[in-house]
Amino acid sequence: MKRMALTSLFIFSLATVVVAPFIGMQQISLSDFLGGGDENIMRIMWDLRVPRVILGWITGSTLALCGLIFQALFRNPLASPDMLGVSTGAAFGAVVYIRTGIVFSLFNAVSGLSLAAFVGALAATFAIYAAGNLRRGGMSEATLLLAGVAMSFLFGSLNMIIQFTGGYIDTFRMMRWSMGGIQAVGFAPVFATLPALAVIFAVAFITAPELNLFVCGEDIAASRGVSVVKLRRLLFFTVSIVIGINVATCGPIGFVGLLGPHICRKFVGTDHRKLAVASLLFGGAFLVLCDTAARMLWAPAEVPVGVLTSCIGSIFFLWLLVRAKRNF
Amino acid sequence: MVSGSDFLHVEGLSLALGGSLILDDISFSIGKGRYLGIIGPNGAGKSSLLKCIGRLYKNFTGSVSLEGTPLSSMTEKALARRIAWVHQTGSDSLPFTVREFALMSRYPWQKAIGGETLEDREIIDRSLETAGVSDIADRQLNSLSGGERQKALIAAALAQSTDILFLDEPTSFLDYRHQVETLELIERVNKEQGMTILLVTHDINLALHGADEILAIKRGKMVWQGHSAELLEKDLLSEIFETRFESFRSEGQLVPYVAPRGLVR
Repeated sequence: MKRMALTSLFIFSLATVVVAPFIGMQQISLSDFLGGGDENIMRIMWDLRVPRVILGWITGSTLALCGLIFQALFRNPLASPDMLGVSTGAAFGAVVYIRTGIVFSLFNAVSGLSLAAFVGALAATFAIYAAGNLRRGGMSEATLLLAGVAMSFLFGSLNMIIQFTGGYIDTFRMMRWSMGGIQAVGFAPVFATLPALAVIFAVAFITAPELNLFVCGEDIAASRGVSVVKLRRLLFFTVSIVIGINVATCGPIGFVGLLGPHICRKFVGTDHRKLAVASLLFGGAFLVLCDTAARMLWAPAEVPVGVLTSCIGSIFFLWLLVRAKRNF
Repeated sequence: MVSGSDFLHVEGLSLALGGSLILDDISFSIGKGRYLGIIGPNGAGKSSLLKCIGRLYKNFTGSVSLEGTPLSSMTEKALARRIAWVHQTGSDSLPFTVREFALMSRYPWQKAIGGETLEDREIIDRSLETAGVSDIADRQLNSLSGGERQKALIAAALAQSTDILFLDEPTSFLDYRHQVETLELIERVNKEQGMTILLVTHDINLALHGADEILAIKRGKMVWQGHSAELLEKDLLSEIFETRFESFRSEGQLVPYVAPRGLVR
């Protein structure tokens, strides 16, 4: 099964991306699409559906890859970008932006909200790293992890304070933002997030041997010649910045980064070179599926996809966990 | 110095953690191809000493040099081509097969992107065979018994193709058969492949009968270095371990075995 796993995942991932744009409130058949006659249908397809599906795929892949790297880095199956304060930091940026009521945008391309969220994510990243590093005797994986969790709670409560003091409309916008969602009109968000995905995939793929060793522990990695401290710093900042860019675009979307890599381990084992490819394929396909469901379930209303990923994903994961022979 | 030659040389090594001195001004040398047993009671600083020498701990003072070159001037990879480790992994999860783990130990020799070469494969096969784990090469490390796992970890260390091997309490938690197998394996790589060995243990008999030389430390201070037979002659053991020992010599054996017989009062 494992030999075919990557091929199957590839076909599955490709199929979701190809099929998903045809599904929605306005059903679009293949002949509509190929005929290319109706201008409205083509507009729905190319301005809304296709960018949204691609953005969803990029986001899912990015989250799963970031989770994969963090789990290896921290040797902890519970490590994920949403847990480590980076997402909460981004939310803090967004909440402050909404609360202050300033409106601006960068070159009319990047919204002020996205920019504020990105700055929040960066601030959280540096704060976590500084806190993890302040300790004398250097930073261990455990201190960095705990610093991240503490920072996550700190930003979480700051967010709630700001929400509490805000007006109804602001508070609703903040809450809605923090649920995450894939929204795209045109390809601008795709171009904003694709480079980040390319970077994180390359990093995961290239450092796969090091990640394999990290999983076995810091001592084993170091004694095999891995520059543990340098590599950890590089991975921590790369993942944080990539997550920052993504959360700035789509808001925090839970679950994919945490459990996506675990599901991939079920399919391809523990080698990180295969896991990197599997996370790319599965993470993307999973989020596209969830987002399609989010568009359809309560149509014409849309459920925030972040709510669905956690709901569908957790049930799927529990099912895998119960029928698993091997422990994670 | 017992060895005479200066293959691996430690000079004035001290380590302080959280304000307390873990290692206090340790200096010694060991010759090429020698087998050094580092003994001492729990918490004496044995493992810390090994970790400082192998640069897993870097915040110590003093110097360690290999054939005259300070280890601090070597890159992590260059160092990993000289020193291989068998760590105390206890029950830590190592989610790989024996062969995969051995391949991962080829890391310091591999190019950034390349994967397994024919040479890697030959070296791994040979290492697995030397350690007697060829038949379990495709088993998961996590599914092995303590004894099998230890041999697999030694096989991986051999696959790293170094000339120095560090072992941290390699026989704790092993039953007698696996203790003997593990020790014989270590002696074999020392004698046949000429690997220089530094082994940390609290098991005196293990050190006395395997190692050429003993380094004894107590509360972070080096107490003694010399041949194992001399250690017993001078009756230093009871001082080091704060325990009275009785020794037994079986026929034809140069070095006796010791057993604890109550505390020193």
